[in-house]
Amino acid sequence: MKKLLLMSFLLVVGIFFQSNAQERKITGKVTSSVDGSALPSVTVQIVGTTKGTQTDTQGNYSIVVPSSKSVLSFRFVGFTSQEIPVGSQTTINITLKEDTKALEEVLVVGYGTQIKRDLTGNIAKIKSTEISDMPVTTFDQAIQGKAAGVVVNSGTGKLGQGIRINVRGQGSISASTQPLFVIDGIPLTTNNLALQFGSTNPLADINPQDIESMEVLKDASAAAIYGARAANGVVIITTKKGKSGQTRVNFGYQTGSSKPTRKLQFLNTEQYVNYYKMAAGNSDRIEGINPADGDSYTAYMNSFFETQGLGTFGTANQVSTNWGDLAYQDAPMSQYDMNISSGTDKTSIYVSGQYLDQKGILIGNALKRATGRINLDHNLTNKFKMGASMSLSRSLNNRLSGDRQFDNPMQMVALPPMTPSTDPTTGLPTGSLPGDPYVPYYYNPMVNIGNAFYNTTVNRTIGSIYGQLKISKDLIFRSEYGVDVLNQLEEQYYNSLTFRNTGVNGGLGLARTVRVENYNTNNFLSYTKAFGIHSIEAIGGMSFQNSTAKSHYIEGQDFPSDSYQTVSSAARKTGGESWETSFSFVSYFARANYKFNDRYIFGLSARVDGSSRFGKNKPYGLFPAVSAGWVISEEEFLKGNKTVSFLKLRSSYGRTGNAEIGTESSVNVRNFPQRGLFAGDAGYGGIPGQRPIQLANPDLSWETTDQFDVGIDFGLLDNRISGEIDYYEKKTNNLLLNVNVPGTTGFAVQTRNVGKLTNKGVEFVLNTENLVGAFKWRTSINLAFNANKVTDLQGQIIEGGLSTMSRAVEGQPIGTFFTAEYAGVDPNNGDALWYKNTKNADGTVDRTTTNVYNQAQRVVVGKALPDWTGGVTNTFSYKGFDLSVFFNGQFGNEINFYGVGRFSSANGRFEDNQTVDQLNSWTSTNRNTNIPEARLFYNNGAQPSSRFIQDGSFVRLRTITLAYNLPKTLLQKANINSMRVFVTGQNLATFTKYTGWDPEVNADDIVTNVALGYDFYTAPQPRTITFGVNLGF
Amino acid sequence: MKKLTKNIFLVGLAVSTLTSCDNSYLDLEPKVSIDESAALNTSKDIQVTLNGAYDGLSDVNVWGGGSQYIKELLVDDRDVVFGGTFTTLDEIWRKTIATTNGDITNLWLDSYNSINRVNNVLSAISKVDDANRNRVEGEARFIRGALYFDLVNLYGKFWGDGDNNTNLAVPLILTPTRGITQDDYRTRATVAQVYAQVIDDLTKAEQLLSSQVDNYGFASKNAAAAMLSRVYLAQGNYALARDAANRVITSGVHALAPTFADAFADGSNTEELIFRIIVTDQDGANDLNTFYGSTASNGRGDIRVQSKFLSLYSSEDSRGKFFERVNNLNFTLKFADRYGDLPIIRFAEMYLTRAECNFRLGTTVGALPISDINKIRDRAGANLLTNLTLADILKERRLELAFEGGNYLDIKRTKQSVGALTSNSNALTLPIPQREIDTNKSLVQNAGY
Repeated sequence: MKKLLLMSFLLVVGIFFQSNAQERKITGKVTSSVDGSALPSVTVQIVGTTKGTQTDTQGNYSIVVPSSKSVLSFRFVGFTSQEIPVGSQTTINITLKEDTKALEEVLVVGYGTQIKRDLTGNIAKIKSTEISDMPVTTFDQAIQGKAAGVVVNSGTGKLGQGIRINVRGQGSISASTQPLFVIDGIPLTTNNLALQFGSTNPLADINPQDIESMEVLKDASAAAIYGARAANGVVIITTKKGKSGQTRVNFGYQTGSSKPTRKLQFLNTEQYVNYYKMAAGNSDRIEGINPADGDSYTAYMNSFFETQGLGTFGTANQVSTNWGDLAYQDAPMSQYDMNISSGTDKTSIYVSGQYLDQKGILIGNALKRATGRINLDHNLTNKFKMGASMSLSRSLNNRLSGDRQFDNPMQMVALPPMTPSTDPTTGLPTGSLPGDPYVPYYYNPMVNIGNAFYNTTVNRTIGSIYGQLKISKDLIFRSEYGVDVLNQLEEQYYNSLTFRNTGVNGGLGLARTVRVENYNTNNFLSYTKAFGIHSIEAIGGMSFQNSTAKSHYIEGQDFPSDSYQTVSSAARKTGGESWETSFSFVSYFARANYKFNDRYIFGLSARVDGSSRFGKNKPYGLFPAVSAGWVISEEEFLKGNKTVSFLKLRSSYGRTGNAEIGTESSVNVRNFPQRGLFAGDAGYGGIPGQRPIQLANPDLSWETTDQFDVGIDFGLLDNRISGEIDYYEKKTNNLLLNVNVPGTTGFAVQTRNVGKLTNKGVEFVLNTENLVGAFKWRTSINLAFNANKVTDLQGQIIEGGLSTMSRAVEGQPIGTFFTAEYAGVDPNNGDALWYKNTKNADGTVDRTTTNVYNQAQRVVVGKALPDWTGGVTNTFSYKGFDLSVFFNGQFGNEINFYGVGRFSSANGRFEDNQTVDQLNSWTSTNRNTNIPEARLFYNNGAQPSSRFIQDGSFVRLRTITLAYNLPKTLLQKANINSMRVFVTGQNLATFTKYTGWDPEVNADDIVTNVALGYDFYTAPQPRTITFGVNLGF
Repeated sequence: MKKLTKNIFLVGLAVSTLTSCDNSYLDLEPKVSIDESAALNTSKDIQVTLNGAYDGLSDVNVWGGGSQYIKELLVDDRDVVFGGTFTTLDEIWRKTIATTNGDITNLWLDSYNSINRVNNVLSAISKVDDANRNRVEGEARFIRGALYFDLVNLYGKFWGDGDNNTNLAVPLILTPTRGITQDDYRTRATVAQVYAQVIDDLTKAEQLLSSQVDNYGFASKNAAAAMLSRVYLAQGNYALARDAANRVITSGVHALAPTFADAFADGSNTEELIFRIIVTDQDGANDLNTFYGSTASNGRGDIRVQSKFLSLYSSEDSRGKFFERVNNLNFTLKFADRYGDLPIIRFAEMYLTRAECNFRLGTTVGALPISDINKIRDRAGANLLTNLTLADILKERRLELAFEGGNYLDIKRTKQSVGALTSNSNALTLPIPQREIDTNKSLVQNAGY
């Protein structure tokens, strides 16, 4: 009662003062602290009243205040609010600081935006500032380690190749596991479009510097609005928009160079000769052959040294070539950026251009890219707004062969070291005519340089237009139409000097085009209304997408001379193909969010998806989601708490689907996994032929993922410490499997919805401001654990990988390594041993060893998917200096060091050069070793086994950037608005037990959803140092 | 009021845009392939399916090379060294085949894939026009019989190694597959059952086919008879083997090529070839070139012929010089053309078979055994024999037909040991592929695996 009286009194006093004060007009301009641009739509309100206004598109406002004691509050999402006492001022210009505490951050969600504070789902946001300094070719590489539960594997150090991204674990075995990418509302074409070897990465056509933000929709409530496309998560990319106010022109330049993160040591000539003499002698001994015999292993090896030495072996000119080093080249990169941002109260525009010129670390690998973009927004009337965005890009990628090809430069490391790299008689790379083309022992990839190319040119146009009509104050209708046209031209040419690799004496030429036309329209209504303590946000609409891909291919052989390089000159046209495939989606979606009293939030969404890929019996699927959030810190008992400044509990449950069925199948069946099909590609003897290629399945449908998520968002000590903790369970049913059927039917597989798997995990995000003030230190940490488990394959075993060492099997994660278990070396005779691991009659496992490989039962010896992944970024700033140190890591996965294990640490089984650790092989005087006796042409331990399956955990200093922002006072004299210089190091240090080149690996022509974690002479990641400067005018 | 009307109009417009898509947008048709319902309706449809069956037969895992090199490497006793990196072939050569071996899996899968193509043809044979029906059926039966003959020999115990009526061979599938039912999980038929089917198919093929064909890449009456001579030889039925070979020889269609090298010259459609697999630079592949060919002949240079084998040829024998030396290693020139056809049955084999059978039976059907053998030796420039033993005939067979895929049958039927292994050793029979055992629980694995 007392309290009420006091309040009434104050109110009366307030009214009294107000009525007695002198009314006054205040004007001013609100700008952003980030780049000084004008901020439109900032709420300017007189504190303690409902009276307020908004800034216009130029950031200007004007408001009449009742007295000099009035206080104005300036509020804008994404920025820290400020309150300014009016006093005697009539002009109040204010610069709003960006809110780094993230709670007021605006997140782009499907068909709209939401404020982080009100979010009931789990969305990770990556801002442009986090990636702009990274010397990466494609923006997806930059996501790595930045968002909890988003695992990125670059696979190889070759430029512009496909990258694997898993959001909250791998959710499929046979269908795509990659998230849906949506750029400004348009689903992107992201499939691999390579003719052969490593996959291409269509995301490489996007200029990373154009990206304003990336939002990764992880849980069902966030993602279900994308229905049958969302089970692998959704990455929404928003490009930069023009900002109203003064025209800003920014220039950027980065330059640097790359080196491989690690090189491996192989035998030099002396070591090689000794080792192989020993290996040959051992084989002679085993077979009772006199080494002096002309057919003996020893004789073979002695003649081999001579032949391979090109006459230098045993002479003063004997060489010891470090072939491994010759695989690498100087790898400079330069990147030029320019962008213009401008706007008036009606129109805003963003124009950008980039040119990137980069060489890869492997000889012959390079990428050039030019991109341009215009984003335009225009208010025709108060009610009608429209806009367009257009991005053009052209890239030229000088690609390399797949990892398993003899002309993969990484395989050079296995060439015998006594072979000179330059033929002493011709001065040309050894293996070039007129020299002996059969030396070195395998094809010399250096011969490809200047004599072969694999050029991939991509012209990409991504454009969209929208119209937005404000039907009433609360109701908006928006219609979007977008196209993504990708034209890719692959040209391969191998001249006559490369004949040993191609098998074609007169030169081989290939040319292939792919055109993917992908168009999409979204039409939806959105409704926003706040009344009292209730607020509602709702959308509803439909979308349609059609994507059609066409390809033409021609191959020719035998050219008049090496000067002729296009197929038209080839004497024989030896291959040709032309294909077309398409898919479509028709979708209806709706979402409603309701917030009560700023603390209770409920969300509901649903999408109905129909797809041409589904069987006749199941044309449409429904994907609903519910979610709720409770902002506990708004409750009386916590409000104003000094320690806990924010606390929200949220949970969601919903269903998403994976309709990426048959997207990577052969072109005969691509996108039509449900049909019984014949193909006409079975010609013979010049006469056409047809063959059955696929069994029908009219019941085929999407994979279904039901996901539960519960999470806490918290802020402590005035949000200086903030974070998120999430637990999720993703259960995927109706897995699309290429189910093995008896081969006697004439088919190997039928695609069915039969399997189940789960991904369960926890995610932690922690952002702290350790030091504030002049010296600032911020830390952001993300850490995620995911356990993947295949729960039901109806007894199926899905195998993959080299020597079918990988499998998906019930009770194990996808990509389990399944092979014989290596048991070391028999100290008595140097034989490789394996554990039998057979079941005894009493059910126990026989752990005795055998030297007969086939007696060893195969067992699970590792897995390719990591348990823990995460990243830690520390940012320090003092005056104009910024230092950012970013580590990322992954733990708990194994790598199959297959290539080296089978060929280059292989007891002299072939003539391949060996890793230096093989010098420790078993001999009668070196009995306690893990490396079996060297035996030429015998397989003594190089069989597929656990021997070369290694812990792939690593921690990597991913990027470290030191930047200096020059003082404005200094710059103003030169009419420069801002200037920033920086130096960035990428992959400077790696901490791992893995003995191969690089633990971040997936051999490019091996990797599938099941065959993960193979290293087959795979290029390591680059270690890059760049210097950059940004200038703003 | 006016504003309200306008708003209702706008909402109506929006809603109509939202719902303007219908199901027809989802009905997309494949462009590269066709629905199975449109595949087998006309006479021509069936004939192109037959050609598809040849295409299946010519697959690199079947008669495009896989079948032959498996049959050679599995019984090789260091006549060659396999020095390549393909572990699948290495395992076969070393007789330590894993049940997951990709080559033996692919031979199984691709053979049955071709059999299904044949079964598609035979199930719709009534749709073929009168002028072509016999030929189409005969060719289809030739392919199926030949494939089952490979399968029964490689995956089952050899004919006569125990009881043919209980020894398990491979499942016998004679109808096309349209969907998977419980019936598709078949058990292995017996060796006797599969042989009966092989003889039935090949005998009908011989009856149905004409002896005159334009292209020996397609089955003829002689191809069926020649294949039958192999089947009877494998059974030790020397009289029927001799007669079948004799029918081919006396048909007057085929002849020995002028020189040994000519028999392997591509593109001449030489009369020596009773049946070949056609490979062109546009279609098909020759995996015997891949593995037997030296790097100089565009092969991988993996299978290196040893001096042990080369020394079997007398110095004047041109066949002993039909090798090339690259990197100090010897390679056969039989498959030196990357796009060369693969010889499947050569006319020379008919002389060798007739001679052997006549010799064993003490008959002289068609010719004296020694004159048949000397025909072969004469062509090769080798000295002519004056007297003849069975060992001479078998050696001649080896010298003439080496690496072409016949050695497996010869070793097995003559019960020669391979190194320390007897010809009926478990290690000289392929395992049923593991993927097949895993998929079909009705299958029993071979002993020793």
